[in-house]
Amino acid sequence: MTVLDPPIDTSIHPHVNIAASAVGVSKTYGSGDTIVRALDDVDVDFVKGHFTAIMGPSGSGKSTLMHCLAGLDTVSAGQVYVGDTDLSSLSERELTLLRRDQVGFIFQAFNLVPTLSAMENITLPMDLAGTDPDPVWLAQVIETVGLANRTSHRPNELSGGQQQRVAVSRALASRPQIIFADEPTGNLDSTTGAEILDFMRRAVRELGQTIVMVTHDPVAASYADRVVFLADGKIVDEIHAPTPETVLDSMKALGN
Amino acid sequence: MLRLTLRNLAARKARFAMTTFAVVLGVGFVVASFVMSDGLRSTFDGLSEDITAGTDLLVRPTSEFGEPTPLDESLVEQVIAIDGVDNAVAYIESDENEIQPIKADGSTITTSGPPQITFAWMEDTSIGTFTIVEGRAPLGPDEFSMDLDAAARHDFVVGETYDVITPSGVWEDVELTATTRFGEDNTTVGATLMQVSLEEAQRLFGEPGSIDQVPLSLEDGADADAVMADIQTLLGGASAEIVDQATVTAEQQAEFDEGVTIIGNVLLGFAIISLFVSIFIIYNTFAIVLGQRVREMGLLRAIGADAAQLRRSVLGEAVIVGVVASLIGLVAGVGIAALLNAVFEALGAQLPDYPTILATRTIVFALILGVGVTVVSSIAPARAAASVSPIEALRDGGAVTPDDGRRRLTVGGTTLGAGFGLGALGLFGPSLSTMGLILTLGLAAVMVFLGLTLASPAVARPLTGAIGWPLSKVMGTAGELARGNASRNPRRTATTAAALMIGLSLVTMGYVVGESVKTSLGNLIAQSVTADYVIAGNEDNSGISPALADELAATGQFSAVTGMRYDEARLGSDVREVTALDLGTIDELFDIDLQAGTIPDSEATDVILLHDELAADLGVGVGDTVPIEFAGGMTADLEVSAIYADKTIFEDPLVPDQVFDDGLAATTDEWIAASLPDGISTADVAPLLAQLQATYPQVDISTTSEFQQSFEDTIDSALLVVNALLALAIVIALIGIANTLALSVHERTREIGLLRAVGMTRRQTRRMIRWEAVLVALFGAVLGVAAGTVFGWGIVQALPQDSFGGSLTIPVAPIIQVVVLAALATLVAAWLPARRAGKLDVLDAISH
Repeated sequence: MTVLDPPIDTSIHPHVNIAASAVGVSKTYGSGDTIVRALDDVDVDFVKGHFTAIMGPSGSGKSTLMHCLAGLDTVSAGQVYVGDTDLSSLSERELTLLRRDQVGFIFQAFNLVPTLSAMENITLPMDLAGTDPDPVWLAQVIETVGLANRTSHRPNELSGGQQQRVAVSRALASRPQIIFADEPTGNLDSTTGAEILDFMRRAVRELGQTIVMVTHDPVAASYADRVVFLADGKIVDEIHAPTPETVLDSMKALGN
Repeated sequence: MLRLTLRNLAARKARFAMTTFAVVLGVGFVVASFVMSDGLRSTFDGLSEDITAGTDLLVRPTSEFGEPTPLDESLVEQVIAIDGVDNAVAYIESDENEIQPIKADGSTITTSGPPQITFAWMEDTSIGTFTIVEGRAPLGPDEFSMDLDAAARHDFVVGETYDVITPSGVWEDVELTATTRFGEDNTTVGATLMQVSLEEAQRLFGEPGSIDQVPLSLEDGADADAVMADIQTLLGGASAEIVDQATVTAEQQAEFDEGVTIIGNVLLGFAIISLFVSIFIIYNTFAIVLGQRVREMGLLRAIGADAAQLRRSVLGEAVIVGVVASLIGLVAGVGIAALLNAVFEALGAQLPDYPTILATRTIVFALILGVGVTVVSSIAPARAAASVSPIEALRDGGAVTPDDGRRRLTVGGTTLGAGFGLGALGLFGPSLSTMGLILTLGLAAVMVFLGLTLASPAVARPLTGAIGWPLSKVMGTAGELARGNASRNPRRTATTAAALMIGLSLVTMGYVVGESVKTSLGNLIAQSVTADYVIAGNEDNSGISPALADELAATGQFSAVTGMRYDEARLGSDVREVTALDLGTIDELFDIDLQAGTIPDSEATDVILLHDELAADLGVGVGDTVPIEFAGGMTADLEVSAIYADKTIFEDPLVPDQVFDDGLAATTDEWIAASLPDGISTADVAPLLAQLQATYPQVDISTTSEFQQSFEDTIDSALLVVNALLALAIVIALIGIANTLALSVHERTREIGLLRAVGMTRRQTRRMIRWEAVLVALFGAVLGVAAGTVFGWGIVQALPQDSFGGSLTIPVAPIIQVVVLAALATLVAAWLPARRAGKLDVLDAISH
């Protein structure tokens, strides 16, 4: 087993080895009396080559944080970086290109374009960019997620687990700075879910990718190297080398 | 349930707005055709009354057939002498466009629309239809007057002199003595009405001593019946009659009404095509919207609504959409009528002004058609949606499971085959009345279109895939996705494309038939007209003075010249058209495909040439005698000197000029044919012809190939009108594509969100949607062009093979042009849904 790196002190090494970070990020909806703070002055870094889980109760802001980090949503205050890029300075089009070239996505459901084959779905971001995938890397990714003989199938010919594997492959295929996964196993039974989580962990450990996963499932979170806990829009706790039990304990502590 | 119906409509306003728009256009076109024909009828009815306003009774010549022999002018005095007659006047009227004044700028008044007609001035303005507005009546020689609106329109000024073109040449230095008013308000419906003295009228377009009619007024309290009886006695056995004002007005109205009815029916026909096209759009909207509501339907079923209630709810929506659309269509119809006026004007066929009349019949029709079409198109989607089982609907909120594709293919194929069969029966089977033929072919076309729509999903996937192949190569991923989207739901693609298919098939059919007729007639003219020149009047009905043919012959530059005159005569038991010409020129000017006998020389008298079919009908051969009787009662016995078979120019019996001269009052030539001898070129005679052209500005001197070109132009203009009228159906089809696309974008919100999340730019998104639309349109276009070519082929085969038919020609270039235009128009139509797809908020879309 790999020995986990200690968290890097970003005050000394700004952005070195950091895939994405949030600095003083707030996100508010509405105004005046009806103001809702989805995120409240959040500071967090995501180190390259790590698998991080974001947990928290419903409404804690975990999805909002992910959307802001991924360039899908804008922040009300603070900065978000993907690599060295400050997202707040980007136009809509630049954000789109950033998502295409530097970010990977795995959603809970509806991850694939039904009119494209599995392989076309995997290479979609690169096809949209008009660039050719690296064939060696692509073969390795497909091998790792175990899709070798299913790549010409359409999504409706694949099982739910296979569809998510295709989604994982797509997220990995362009070797992005960082991959965001939003409850990737939420729609799967526990065995298939475990398989997907295992693939994601292998992608981090064997292929050196960076993954940030939003989940509410302690078992899923236990696959990560680090778990960040959010409550009421603030980061309230984080643990390293989690197990389902330590995650559950932290969650119970939050409940109090 | 009613409340639910209303809520549903309110919640989906935007989607139903497009459907409503399709119905509005269809209904609007129907309303427009009624508004136009009712308005025109009213205008012409008023015109008929104006024409006969001052006339209590009218004496006019009669004839069983052909042009009646004019009356003697002495009749006017004899009529005035009768007890009870207040006054009577001599009435002469020119043919349309026979007299053409030249404007100050040197051009003639062009009359592609309403005619120019010249009358003898009627001194008693209480009977006559004209009164002086400014100036004095044109009573002297070299004087004329014109109605005030035409004078203003063409800048004619009282007191100035003008040159006037007449059949016998240019009438120079004619003074405009007055502007006149026709009836109360000068309602000339755009015509140019002129007057000259009685003597000038007789000289220019009548005969000395003769008049056309005698309108008369009665003394107050006179017994009309008694006066009529007295006049009948006066007329005795002459071919003339006395009729009252009501009769004349009714006849005049009926005559105008015939033309108005034809215009109205043609417009209505095209309106029904538009409405038929909109059925597909409405059907599609309901099918998609209901498909998206399957979950809601399932919930309603689960809590106890039965299928019938759901069906009724959906049909209720259709009724409301239909009523609203029909009411808007009523208003839109008035606008569409104005638009059609502008189209006709742009195409050179200006319609007169008419009042806007929204008759009860129009309103009832609009409502029945609009509501009917909407409800009928929603029945199938309503049934499909209501029959969804609650569990199925609630489980995954999926789409309505499509019924068996094989069954659709079978039903579609059968309908398609039956449609073609019915069409063949109509074209080649027992001959039908015009109306019967139109109904048979119309029904056949409807069956073909429905059959194609049902069966074409089977080919939608491979065909759109093939059409889209180059696109995915050029456009990259956006193109590839567009291609996938166009073929992902074959039924939807087929129904959406069907609307465009119908419009384009009719356009293609027109092109194929038009081009084939052009080729066929062109071949025949090339084959049977050997003359070098064809000289014809430059406007309809402007006859050519026989003097022109004589002048041409007198130049000595031509090897043969003959004027061609047509009139009706009784031959055997039937009245038919007879052509008179210089028979001795036939060999030089035409190839009539002689079957028997010899062509007589120019000096031959009392001879006749017959077409072989007519000779067979009459049971005569060369050397036999055929009796001929003209309208005026003159008769002659003509010897058959030859039998011929050509049908291009001559199917008529041919007689020497002398037979017409003996049997008829003076007639004008319809056209002139002339040939150059060997060794003289068209360039040699050009100066001579230019000089003649100056003397006779009202004729067009054209070489035979120019002449052929001119009727090809006529066919092209007819096609232009047809295409303009089909344009609305095509616009509806394009709206349908945009509408379906908007619904598809809505349906695929999550997918588009996903694409945007993983890096598809807005531009790529818009491009994907636009090209999907183009692929669907091209699919419809391919089917339409194929169906239209088959229709055209059938019609060309059904035309007489020895004249209009015979040469099937498919004009590839104009058809491709129309398809490209339709594709470009689709790009425009898809702009809105594409923009919407591009603007989707990614987060909202993903969590949709």
